[in-house]
Amino acid sequence: MKLSTKLTLFVTLSKLAIVLFFVLTLPYVVDYITATYTDNLLQQQKSKVLKVIDQNGIDFYLDGQESYGSYTLLREEFIALEPVDNLAKIDSLETAERIIERDTLNYRILSHTFKAGNQNYLLEVAKATSTMTQYSRPLQRMALYLLLSLIVITLVIDLVFTHYLIKPLGVIIKNKLVNQRFPFARNQKPINTSTSDFRYLDSSLILLMDQINDAFEKEREFTANASHELMTPISILQNKIENLMEDEEVSDSMQQRFAEMMRTLSRLKKIVNSLLLISRIENEQFAKSDDVDVRLMAEEIREEISHRLEDQEISFELKFEHLVSLKNVNHDLLFQLFYNLINNAIRYNKHKGSIVMGDEYQNGSYTIFVKDTGIGIPEDEIPTIFNRFKKANLSQTGGYGLGLSIVKSIASYHQITLEVVSVVNEGTTFKAIFSNDNVAQNK
Amino acid sequence: MKVLLVEDEKTLAYEVEAFLKKAFYICDLAHNARQGLEKIECNLYDFILLDLGLPDQDGLVLLEKAKKANPDAAYIILTARGNIEDRIKGLDLGADDYLPKPFSLLELQSRMQAISRRKSGINSQLIPLGEFNVDIQKRTVAIQDKEIELTRKEFDLLSYLLLHKNRVLTRLQLSEHIWGSFVDDDCDSNYIDVHIKNIRKKLGAHGSTEWLETVRGVGYKIKKS
Repeated sequence: MKLSTKLTLFVTLSKLAIVLFFVLTLPYVVDYITATYTDNLLQQQKSKVLKVIDQNGIDFYLDGQESYGSYTLLREEFIALEPVDNLAKIDSLETAERIIERDTLNYRILSHTFKAGNQNYLLEVAKATSTMTQYSRPLQRMALYLLLSLIVITLVIDLVFTHYLIKPLGVIIKNKLVNQRFPFARNQKPINTSTSDFRYLDSSLILLMDQINDAFEKEREFTANASHELMTPISILQNKIENLMEDEEVSDSMQQRFAEMMRTLSRLKKIVNSLLLISRIENEQFAKSDDVDVRLMAEEIREEISHRLEDQEISFELKFEHLVSLKNVNHDLLFQLFYNLINNAIRYNKHKGSIVMGDEYQNGSYTIFVKDTGIGIPEDEIPTIFNRFKKANLSQTGGYGLGLSIVKSIASYHQITLEVVSVVNEGTTFKAIFSNDNVAQNK
Repeated sequence: MKVLLVEDEKTLAYEVEAFLKKAFYICDLAHNARQGLEKIECNLYDFILLDLGLPDQDGLVLLEKAKKANPDAAYIILTARGNIEDRIKGLDLGADDYLPKPFSLLELQSRMQAISRRKSGINSQLIPLGEFNVDIQKRTVAIQDKEIELTRKEFDLLSYLLLHKNRVLTRLQLSEHIWGSFVDDDCDSNYIDVHIKNIRKKLGAHGSTEWLETVRGVGYKIKKS
């Protein structure tokens, strides 16, 4: 899941949780507040009454009567004074029913006993519970609406702001990771953000890319220099052997040994030559300005390689169905690419096997394939067959593992995607998928 | 024929010199550009073999100067640098051929002979080979005016063997000649044999091919007086 999606989900869910919590607890909170408020009010009234009695005597209320009672017009509140047993001592707050003028109503009642003169009196101050709750419902609703609108507003602000905050991360992923092709361009543009974490991430990535470029550059330089330096001693050895073979005094058996020496030297020479070729391709020392007629090139390869086909009695079929030419490519390199593929197809083929080279459109991209009936490549080896000095099958003789490395270098130099499909003991198909920029229809 | 070899690697220079002397060339050596230029300015050479990576000066600069002093000489560039630009630049400056190191001495000789033939202007020269006549220029083989068809590679092989007659050529020397610097990592293969077999079959149908000998374990040679 993307970070922005996660953040959005988190923010939304946490706000929803808050709303839920308030909706569930609000009635209790409001009830508690009104109850406390009412109790306080009753206490205050009690104090007031007691203060009046203290100053003016109990008769101020009783006015000669035995007891006193007074209630408001709608019977929301009442106050009552009556004599009780001397021994009784009550001081309580309770919710109870009282009958006033035949109406049974629910009251919150404060009961308090006190002494006035020699008589013990009970004072009751009460407030109808219905009046207590009459404002709490609309209040709750108002609070809920307010809360909801606040939450919606903060949610929108949060989402917009997090989106703005993590936007540089998306830009970094897009520019530095997804859309990058090796070798990376020099002088990468640093990201424009005030978030230091992203700046750090970005600069670290740029640093890494530069380091990879440098390492690659050094390897390239090394390969080129080393190969070049190796050429001179190889030259000397080769010419020395050639001169020795010229010598008339050399016996036949010596001649054979010289020939063997030359064969070994030639092997070394070819390895060095292959490495040099790869490094030259990687150094882009080949012009890509040729137009190549695919059928013509295939015929050239067939002619070049016919002796090998003959030797192994392998049939070679060309199945080109599209009139296509390749533009802005290097003819010699493409020739080498397909030559190597076909050479491989011969080397790892069965006696009297077959090879088919042809073209097709694969997902709209022009593709040339080379299909053989050879020994195949185990699936776990396919990812490494293009590595230098890697053999597809060690039990087979011949080959120095550079043929396919050359194929890979040429392919990436021409933006060709390579695909390998192989079934062990049935055969291998190599596909070279061309970029549309390099393909032109022939009229 | 007088040859000047400008090459800073002395061991290599001596090998080339020894080979060329045996092939009846008169050979001068120079180990740097300064020496080379001195010799070029005092002598007239038929061939100047030029290494590009000289210690005191770039071989291409020397080539330009040498061309002025010795314009009729044939120039062959020998180099381990081998990049395309140098090759194009060298040929642009008037070099006649370009041989990347490491090269076979036989290849060098065949290139020199090809240049000689080109410069001498001889259009056609029939070389007798047993009952056959070979025309290197027209690239034909005939027996009593009857032309025998050979493929390009078969003819290349035959003419290379003929050029180095009475000398054993290894399969590698032969394959290097016909496939050139073209990278092919199949060096243990004996595909040369397939071509030789074809040559023998095609020519053998018309006459004897006794002159084409197989030297066991080494290669092939054309025996010819």
